[in-house]
Amino acid sequence: MSFNARITLPAQAKAGEIVEIKVLTRHPMDRGGQSDGKGGTVPRKILNRLTATYAGETIFRLDMHTGVAANPFVSFTTRAIETGDIVFEWREDGGATYTRTARLTVT
Amino acid sequence: MSSAISPHSARSDPGIDRRSLMAGTAAGLLAAGLPLPAAADTPELAQLIARVTEGAVPERARIKLEIPALAENGNAVDTRISVDSPMTEADHVRWIHLIAEKNPFPDMARFHLSRRAGRADVSTTLRIAQSQKVAAVAALSDGRFLLAEADIVVTLSACIDGG
Repeated sequence: MSFNARITLPAQAKAGEIVEIKVLTRHPMDRGGQSDGKGGTVPRKILNRLTATYAGETIFRLDMHTGVAANPFVSFTTRAIETGDIVFEWREDGGATYTRTARLTVT
Repeated sequence: MSSAISPHSARSDPGIDRRSLMAGTAAGLLAAGLPLPAAADTPELAQLIARVTEGAVPERARIKLEIPALAENGNAVDTRISVDSPMTEADHVRWIHLIAEKNPFPDMARFHLSRRAGRADVSTTLRIAQSQKVAAVAALSDGRFLLAEADIVVTLSACIDGG
């Protein structure tokens, strides 16, 4: 199954303005121990970290545990510095990583 | 470092069998329709908070934890945490940590903010195993901590097998 995430942020912002960024990720966030319908259990496999990098710095990091819901949603804020890509990187149990970018235009 | 979020940070002593306690509590709450008593922190919650503050006593001010008082579905409970902070180099929130006292793994998430955040204002969606207290602890740049708590009643528990 491919990795899907929806990143929502304003199309543009003025320099210095605070923008809100929302990230909705498709992921079952299997917490482990749930029945798989065939007499066994589904092993734990969650996204355990989301890091956002923009204009040369890590602007946000979320450490997640099994208490975060499936299809995890997070929102946070950051100041608009310069036009550029915000790079989002997810880390999954087992070490797999996924990356997506979203462009912030700063006027 | 986020050792409180590691896979090995489960509750140290299982104590009473969780499933029977949960089923009993859920049935009791539904049958009696009683709200949870708004009591002082249990020793377990106080210990969970002390673990993230490394013993420091947090201040119950300037941090707001928004979470519904009643959630029909514990699998997806929206929450928002905001801290009244200027978010400057000299005075900012370093991280915000969420604890669910009675979840199988009480440490739920930690938001690490940068000085470029502008505001300390984050939200996410949580799994809440049963009716309990949720706590948000914020670490400030000067080494102090803030604490906000909320009681939540859950009618459909997030951790019933098969759910």
